[in-house]
Amino acid sequence: MTLTDERTEEVAVNPRLERAARRRESWRGFLHAVPAYVYLIVFFVLPLIVVFVFSFASRSRTGRPELENWNVDGWTRLTDELVRTIVTRSLFVAALNTVLCLIIGYQFAYWIATRRKQSTRTILLILVLIPFWSNFLVRTYAWRMLLDSDGYITQLGELTGLWGRTLFTLPAVFLGLLYGYLPFMVLPLYAAIERIDWSLVEAGRDLYASGTKAFMKITLPLSRPGIVAGSILVFIPSLGAYVTPDILGGAKTTLLGNFIVTQFGAARNWPFGSALSSAILMVMLLATILYFRSGARTV
Amino acid sequence: MSIDGAPAVGLHGVTKKFGVDVVAVDDMGLEIRDGEFFSLLGPSGCGKTTTLRMIAGLEFPTDGSIQIFGDEMGLRPPNKRPVNTVFQSYALFPHMNVEQNVGFGLRMKGVDRSEEKQRVNEAIDLVRLSGLNTRRPGALSGGQQQRVALARALVNQPKVLLLDEPLGALDLKLRQTMQLELKDIQADVGITFIYVTHDQEEALTMSDRIGVMNEGKLVQVGVSEEIYESPANLFVASFVGDMSFLPAEVVEPGSVRLAGGEIVRAKTDSNPGTSVTLALRPEKLHLFANASEAPPDRNALSGTVTRRTFYGESLYYEVAVGASGSFDVRVENLPVMRRWEVGDEVVVDFHPDSTTALAE
Amino acid sequence: MTVQQAGGRRSRMDRWLSLNGWFVFAFLYLPILVVIVFSFSGASNVGIWGGFSLRWYRRMAGNEQLLATLENTLWVALWSTIVATVFGTAAALALDRYRKWVSRGTFDAILYMPVIIPDVTMAVMLLLWFTQIGLPLGRLSIVLAHIAFNISFVAIVVRARLAHMDSSMEEAAADLYASRWQTFRRVTLPLIMPGVLGGGLLALTLSLDDVVITSFVQGPGSTTLPVHVFGLIRRSVTPEINAVSTLMVTASMILVFASLAIQRRGQN
Repeated sequence: MTLTDERTEEVAVNPRLERAARRRESWRGFLHAVPAYVYLIVFFVLPLIVVFVFSFASRSRTGRPELENWNVDGWTRLTDELVRTIVTRSLFVAALNTVLCLIIGYQFAYWIATRRKQSTRTILLILVLIPFWSNFLVRTYAWRMLLDSDGYITQLGELTGLWGRTLFTLPAVFLGLLYGYLPFMVLPLYAAIERIDWSLVEAGRDLYASGTKAFMKITLPLSRPGIVAGSILVFIPSLGAYVTPDILGGAKTTLLGNFIVTQFGAARNWPFGSALSSAILMVMLLATILYFRSGARTV
Repeated sequence: MSIDGAPAVGLHGVTKKFGVDVVAVDDMGLEIRDGEFFSLLGPSGCGKTTTLRMIAGLEFPTDGSIQIFGDEMGLRPPNKRPVNTVFQSYALFPHMNVEQNVGFGLRMKGVDRSEEKQRVNEAIDLVRLSGLNTRRPGALSGGQQQRVALARALVNQPKVLLLDEPLGALDLKLRQTMQLELKDIQADVGITFIYVTHDQEEALTMSDRIGVMNEGKLVQVGVSEEIYESPANLFVASFVGDMSFLPAEVVEPGSVRLAGGEIVRAKTDSNPGTSVTLALRPEKLHLFANASEAPPDRNALSGTVTRRTFYGESLYYEVAVGASGSFDVRVENLPVMRRWEVGDEVVVDFHPDSTTALAE
Repeated sequence: MTVQQAGGRRSRMDRWLSLNGWFVFAFLYLPILVVIVFSFSGASNVGIWGGFSLRWYRRMAGNEQLLATLENTLWVALWSTIVATVFGTAAALALDRYRKWVSRGTFDAILYMPVIIPDVTMAVMLLLWFTQIGLPLGRLSIVLAHIAFNISFVAIVVRARLAHMDSSMEEAAADLYASRWQTFRRVTLPLIMPGVLGGGLLALTLSLDDVVITSFVQGPGSTTLPVHVFGLIRRSVTPEINAVSTLMVTASMILVFASLAIQRRGQN
């Protein structure tokens, strides 16, 4: 402690001294954040800016960006027929996957959250956590194996005549994404539904007298934070999904994620890849703002 | 250094603002004597807890001086102040057992281990928790946790002990037992206690002196009887105990006119024509069947019983006196006392000294 | 509506929810179980049961390249977890225990972004950045990348724990003569430890699982196990991959149960 600090302790407080004390306290808070703050600025914020900047760069022979000739080629290419198809497909896949996860996940989370015994709820929740923590690659691989041409699913489909070879088709990608991201939807939904004060629903049933109406007017709005959080946690990664479409989708069902990777690999067009990434980032930022605005944040 | 004869705690012009316009404590001045059991009484949000937290150093005043035995506290952090606190939530450390909780302060001060052990055991004995030394707080009842919190503070032999609604979480019976016990412990250790509560009965029974707070201001300081018998204003009168309030106008010193025109003799020295509120305690009123039964030289007003409420040890009658308003009258539930029915014509009787005329 | 009807309706609804629930569990578990079961099959063809055998595990244990990638994986996971846990915990303290400081809101928002950003975008960002600042791609670049996303996850987990911890604990410690450091060391840290360890285990898991970001920022010889396996899967499905997958799932399971055990102890 400095000499001045010792001295200020011995005199009556005045607004100036108290402000100084508050400032010192704020400064302490800031110092705690500094390591993470600096780290994230260097290894997250600056890279974020660089991606945006490089989306205007020109392309050298090796595909690496050159900063000499500024252009908007990367961005104008976003309107190409091929890109439009891929973007539309990706948005469709991400949106449909979010809706599927929401429909299945809501019933599932509701079921777990309404079990009477705490121990039952805990065990069921652990059963959700295990696949959530399990290696995503392995989980995707499992479907690759099951859907393979001589795999059991194909055999079953051929036996019943209901479906044929599903690997490397869009339905296979959906299956993989649903499988991969369902736990991301279930966990926030569970957290929201479990917190609901059921006496409100009972009061609603008392007033509306219909279970469906009580659900639509009370339970659903009260679980909104979970719906928003879960939807973001599924939609954004689905939009940028790479591993799943790569393993289960094959060449005909290229999605945005794979398309971006291609730009940094075989296609050697980093500026265009940067423009595509920037576009995704903008969607993400929008979602983040919505998330914070909705008051859905739970921690 | 402490100054001999200095008050245990002195507050001078203490103000606490939160943000720009929330004034939690407003220009507070107060001296608490050594060895005193002092209560800060007031409704929630009146600034009493903030005042306590400022004495503890958990909050710094925006302006003003806080002295403990003459030492200016200034911006001194809580760990360097000679006071300890019993928190409303107890704030026991859940990962330490009773012994470790109680010994925490001594350990931090660097008291040697054998002395620590001895003092911890004494403190645990003092609050009658012997045998529970190795229990974790989670395995204790609410009352026991309360005692641990008390022992944890007392073991450090603070110059002043601060208690923030320590009995608030306990049920009524336990609270009453603990009130007596706390008072005994205070007499035993002789430390100054500053006790924050919103429970007027608790404050009245336990304290040597009470400071009543409202909206960040200290409105009255005095011993229990003063606070109860001569409330300084309408707020204190309505917050402490039950009272009937009737609008009146001063006719001459010692005499007021009620709204219905009745002239009543009352304790007042305000100028004639001043509007006042006449305040009366229900237990200081008596009921008679007619004016001739009532003792002379007192006030006797005719009215009608409009409500009767049975409380077990007593009955409350609400008596309407014409346009003047209603009086609440408390009557002990004794076999000799006459019972009145709603609608009965009665005379309300009270002594001029039992009245308080509060200026607006 | 009579009580009888309401009851009947509820139970029909509940039956549906249960059916759906168990179906979802089957959906979540069966594929993994199939992988595990077939890792013990002696047959060379993945879809056919060829009797119990540890053949693929033996082969895996003898695969030098695989073991080298495993070593990289563990090195990266360990260091990124340690750094992210320390930084993330400090960040959680800054946000939860200090209400007002300059740019607190900005920091809060930045801290949440790595959680929802798609892997591919993060990978692209970091690759561009590393090449721009001239950082050679290798183990170090992988660790730096992993720390960047792990800090956020640790901070979220620790912050949830802090939110449940009454700040009167720290006030009581200060009131009992503890300095700031003593308060942290003897009260705050022990009480948030389950959160810190839980966050650390989550970081470890995420680091052990990452494919996309690592595949972008890796250099020659620094490939991790998941990236190596990903390459293998893209080419073909082999029983050896089943064995490696089983190993990875087992590792995840151990981490989940460790995490749950810690959370549980923290509650008592």
